[in-house]
Amino acid sequence: MQFKADFHIHSCLSPCASLEMSPASIARRAREVGLNAIALSDHNCTFNLPAFDRVCRDGGMACLYGMEVSTQEEVHVLCLFDRLEPAMELGALVYDSLPDIPNQPERFGDQPIVNEHDEILGFAEKFLISASGYNIGALVEEVHTLKGLVIPAHIDRSVYGMISTLGFLPDEEFDAVELTPAGDPQLAGRYPIIRNSDSHRLDQIGTSCSTFDMNRLSVDHIRHFLRSNR
Amino acid sequence: MKISDLATLDTFDGLQPEYTDAEILAGYTSDLLSDVMANAAEGAALITIQAHKNTVAVASLVGIRAIIVCNNRPVTDDVIEAAKNEGIAVFRTTGNQFQTSVLISQHLNP
Repeated sequence: MQFKADFHIHSCLSPCASLEMSPASIARRAREVGLNAIALSDHNCTFNLPAFDRVCRDGGMACLYGMEVSTQEEVHVLCLFDRLEPAMELGALVYDSLPDIPNQPERFGDQPIVNEHDEILGFAEKFLISASGYNIGALVEEVHTLKGLVIPAHIDRSVYGMISTLGFLPDEEFDAVELTPAGDPQLAGRYPIIRNSDSHRLDQIGTSCSTFDMNRLSVDHIRHFLRSNR
Repeated sequence: MKISDLATLDTFDGLQPEYTDAEILAGYTSDLLSDVMANAAEGAALITIQAHKNTVAVASLVGIRAIIVCNNRPVTDDVIEAAKNEGIAVFRTTGNQFQTSVLISQHLNP
């Protein structure tokens, strides 16, 4: 089976994302643009994953449960799971490790937690753009222990990308690296490449995506596919 | 000043003492490692709050002799271990990057 996948999508929970990005709207838009696999990956928080899980199940959309973690180094790393529970577990650990700096919505944007009917349940209190307490090595270890995929995000971007922040790609057990649409594949070194949209608005969903030929959508299948198609 | 002189500075804790003592030739203050890599001078002391293994990797590449971790940020064992392997001294201070830069600047030989 062929999965046309976009695994880097922010919901309204991310203060920098548009408020139209509810899990229900994301799944609807993904279907409209011909995707059949998506992941929700908010900054340092997984509070909207339960609603995302429900809309994907109800709508028959294959999905991964994700988060874009800001490491101590201020590098963005995509963490993806094929089950909700370990994603929520990592989410709690990462959120706890954020500094106790409250969000200022008027400055940075709102961080609403919503349900599958687009109703607001509350707001994430901590400012989600802060750096978490995890450094890159510790994050790789934690995510792999929880059986997830670790993928440095947009490594070719000048802000929060691994290469611009560290100056190089460290030798870690990354499952892949993510490039923006224009990103030079040479930058990936020995790591497999995936491309996603990093959507913050509905009209960005699917503008960059990756295709996977696999029997089903799981962390193991993706890892195997990436390794054999490097 | 020599690397070992850093240990005598107020609020400085020496965390990694296995290095060959040498003159500190300059200071460089930055928390963006790609900037350190591009612009720090060989023989410098790096003043930063970035205390992780990749800081040591960049310091070793540039030829930085001492890493000074500001704001009393935690330094984990893997960082100390990596610095030991590279022979790079590691210090921690309660001072921030500005205060520490001023302090080091006062002690550097003109």
